[in-house]
Amino acid sequence: MLTFPEKIGFIVLAVVMLGWAGVLAFRIGRAIGRGRGHPDWRHIRATLRERILAQLLVVGTNLPVFFQRPLVGIFHFMVFAGFTFYLLVNILDVATGYFPEFVATLRAGNLATLFNLYDLAADLLSVGVLIGMSALLIRRFIRRDPAFNFRANVLLNDRVRAGAIRFDSFIVGTFILLHVGSRWLGSGLQIAASGQSHWLEPTASLAAIPLARLPAPVLQIGIHVTWWSALGLILFFFPYFVRSKHIHIFFAPLNWFFFRDRPLATTEQDGAGAKHLQDLTWHQVMDAYACIMCNRCQEVCPAYAAGAPLSPAALEINKRYYLNQHLTDFVGGKSSPPLWEFAISKEAAWACTTCGACVEVCPVGNTPMVDIIDVRRALIAEGDALDANLQKSLENLAKQGNSFGQSGRMRAKWTQALEFKIKDARKEEVDYLWFVGDYASFDPRGQESSRMFARLLNQAGLDFGILYEAEWNSGNDARRIGEEGLFEMLAEHNVEALSKAKFRQGILTTDPHTLNALRFEYAKLGHTFTVEHYTRAIEYLLREGKIKLSRSLKYRVTYHDPCYLGRYNRAFDAPRYILEQLGVELIEMPRNRADSFCCGAGGGQIWKGTGVPGEKPAENRIREALRVLADPGRKDVPLFVVACPKDVAMFTDAVKTSGNEGKIIVKDIVELVAEAIDFKPATQPAKPVALPIAQQVAV
Amino acid sequence: MNIIVCMRQVPDLVEELELNDDGTGLNREYLKLGVNEFDDWALEQALLLKEEHGGSVTCLALDTPEVDNTLFTCYAKGADKAIKIEGDFANGMTSHSAAKLFADAIKAMPHDLILTGVQSVEDLDGQVGVLLATNLGIPHVSVVTGVQVNGKVAVVRKEYAGGMLGEFEVDLPAVLGIQAAKQAPRYAPISKVRAMMKEKKIETSASADGATEAGITIRRMFKPESGKRAEMLEGDAEAVASRVAEILKERGLVK
Repeated sequence: MLTFPEKIGFIVLAVVMLGWAGVLAFRIGRAIGRGRGHPDWRHIRATLRERILAQLLVVGTNLPVFFQRPLVGIFHFMVFAGFTFYLLVNILDVATGYFPEFVATLRAGNLATLFNLYDLAADLLSVGVLIGMSALLIRRFIRRDPAFNFRANVLLNDRVRAGAIRFDSFIVGTFILLHVGSRWLGSGLQIAASGQSHWLEPTASLAAIPLARLPAPVLQIGIHVTWWSALGLILFFFPYFVRSKHIHIFFAPLNWFFFRDRPLATTEQDGAGAKHLQDLTWHQVMDAYACIMCNRCQEVCPAYAAGAPLSPAALEINKRYYLNQHLTDFVGGKSSPPLWEFAISKEAAWACTTCGACVEVCPVGNTPMVDIIDVRRALIAEGDALDANLQKSLENLAKQGNSFGQSGRMRAKWTQALEFKIKDARKEEVDYLWFVGDYASFDPRGQESSRMFARLLNQAGLDFGILYEAEWNSGNDARRIGEEGLFEMLAEHNVEALSKAKFRQGILTTDPHTLNALRFEYAKLGHTFTVEHYTRAIEYLLREGKIKLSRSLKYRVTYHDPCYLGRYNRAFDAPRYILEQLGVELIEMPRNRADSFCCGAGGGQIWKGTGVPGEKPAENRIREALRVLADPGRKDVPLFVVACPKDVAMFTDAVKTSGNEGKIIVKDIVELVAEAIDFKPATQPAKPVALPIAQQVAV
Repeated sequence: MNIIVCMRQVPDLVEELELNDDGTGLNREYLKLGVNEFDDWALEQALLLKEEHGGSVTCLALDTPEVDNTLFTCYAKGADKAIKIEGDFANGMTSHSAAKLFADAIKAMPHDLILTGVQSVEDLDGQVGVLLATNLGIPHVSVVTGVQVNGKVAVVRKEYAGGMLGEFEVDLPAVLGIQAAKQAPRYAPISKVRAMMKEKKIETSASADGATEAGITIRRMFKPESGKRAEMLEGDAEAVASRVAEILKERGLVK
């Protein structure tokens, strides 16, 4: 089909453009390689099959693209499916251009049916791409979806602020329309030239009807032009493609392939922190190339929602544009400026609640939150001035082992109001060690809930004890603040206390942050503990009939998944089982389970004196709850049920500050359980009850 | 410029305090000690001056329980040298004794500026700085909230009651009792403190004889006794608030 000069021209163009793009791609590879660490190839080889399967599943289904934005997901899938199929289409089209007779023989042979199906798929998928891409372009350029905007207080690369992403999207979108559109039109022209419609290419055949009126030489020229505008265009686009956001089609699958190597719960194990771009790990640098700049993370970020200058999207985008602008220097070994000068402002870094929503929502598997923790570590090491309250809390942790600034000796004072004495696990052996946590030990509301849980365990006949003043804060928040040394100090203290204590079965905790720390983070010191959240314990006790509910509760409730229990530890069902057993009417908020919206306390935010400028995350959440619980026909006050002592404090405040006092009541789930049972005077059963504590989840 | 910061360990007021058996002091057996807050401000002022003018900062402390931790924290914040004066000081001491001990140690050291906290929770009369200057025979300014050094002279701001400020010119060397520095004491990351424990050494200085100089004698120490004329407002927030409003009106404080 192609003329001889065309054949030569295409080859020359291919060599030049692919060579050019190859050089750029190689540089990008080296830029990523400047990040710390390297892939653990032996581990990767051992888990290769699961990795590929998981990756194919995520990428093949586009699943994370559908979450949060289902309609966009559909359009994206149309483009994705067509584009993936076009890998094959393009190869065959080039082959047809060079060896038309050979391909024709092939088509007429044994594989005819396969080729028919191929034609049908190519035809329909092409139209899919055109519709999908047009819809996405309309969304960006005509409907101007505000999701693409960045607030003025967010640190953003100048070029991006001036519209670089829009420009890039325009080029990429136009390329896709031209590339696929040309191929589709070319098919129409070929059908028109052949004079007979081809039912296996229904849409191209439709297009051929008007085209058939054109004179034959024009059709022939058209066939050549569309071949070039479909395939030659790819070659022209290649060097641009490597620098554009479109390169996500390569890095997103790669990111998913490595995703399991960086679980959310452990953040970065070495805790070295990152002042410069090259101090980040290699996959954190790669995140910048995988980022498709969709701003989903910005949309779910509680800090951004509250008006803080933090946008996880801007962080990745700033990294990416920095690399685009300084790739040669960076690859040549030059250091980037401090990250807080071009990637994320200090104020933004300090605003993160480490809720993990950005990581959860990211369709390409990026972990911007981990960058933020690394930046904080660098800021702490630099001696950057801290928020006064935050500093005081850290000093309290170092001095007293708790963030409340109270004497460490007062930690177990809450137990004095109990009718029985909780065993001291340092002195006598128990089945279960209860790691109480700071808020459950010192906060007045938390103390009340702790006593209820103690009574519950006692009633169930569980053999349990606590560490009394040997327990210190688990260090989860200190670590998320970036104070790795303090985390280690607290962890070392707790590990020592735990290894001296005698408990046969495992650990229970009333604090999701402690759960995460003991289960995953103490691995840094070489220790992992079998630990369960109290909701899991209550679930077991109810299932086994060890605690019997005396009455059914008639409340309308909604349940808030704490970040470190839900997103981090995937424990969604136990609290819901308990609520079901209690007989309450559970009405879910739109953002539930893994999509839960942070209360705003995590990552040390609860210690900071200066709050966010706008609506606090907890107020935002209370309003969400009130919207789903609104029922003009009912007079009863609905409940906002939580399973984290910090949540009780945060949301009780938010109910007041959002002016909703009397309209909704915040309750710890254990308060509801206590309300539903009749406590009997403590009688120790002959044989202590055993909880079937789950096997340790592998880190 | 050689800056010396005198630091004392004082009881941590977060802990419950108990009196000793004869009622003349605290029961120090279970007492938890931590750095005196004002001394921390003095250190911050010293570090700021060093950052501005160069020189060195030496932290000087008495050998009391947990003092090593305090001195390694000084290193972590940027002090160049940490020295502890050896001796058995676990039972606390008068400001006279402390000043004498500091003075004896400092005499043997190069010094241009000596900073110390204006007072401590154990020594609210704020005498250590004054006595130290007297022992060394150099000038002294107390309740200082701002220090500028110009060559061999320091311009300092002293705070007076009633919102008055005084500005003084002091010849160096001098002793300054620091009330506040330009910025709050900086945070010392634990990993840095721990690194200092491995890297740095705390030097020691022997205490001279006869350090126990007369000062004040405590005859009796006791917890504040509650007066009889206080009216305790009881009830819920509403009731208390309306009673407060009533009282304010009764006394003619609001109309």
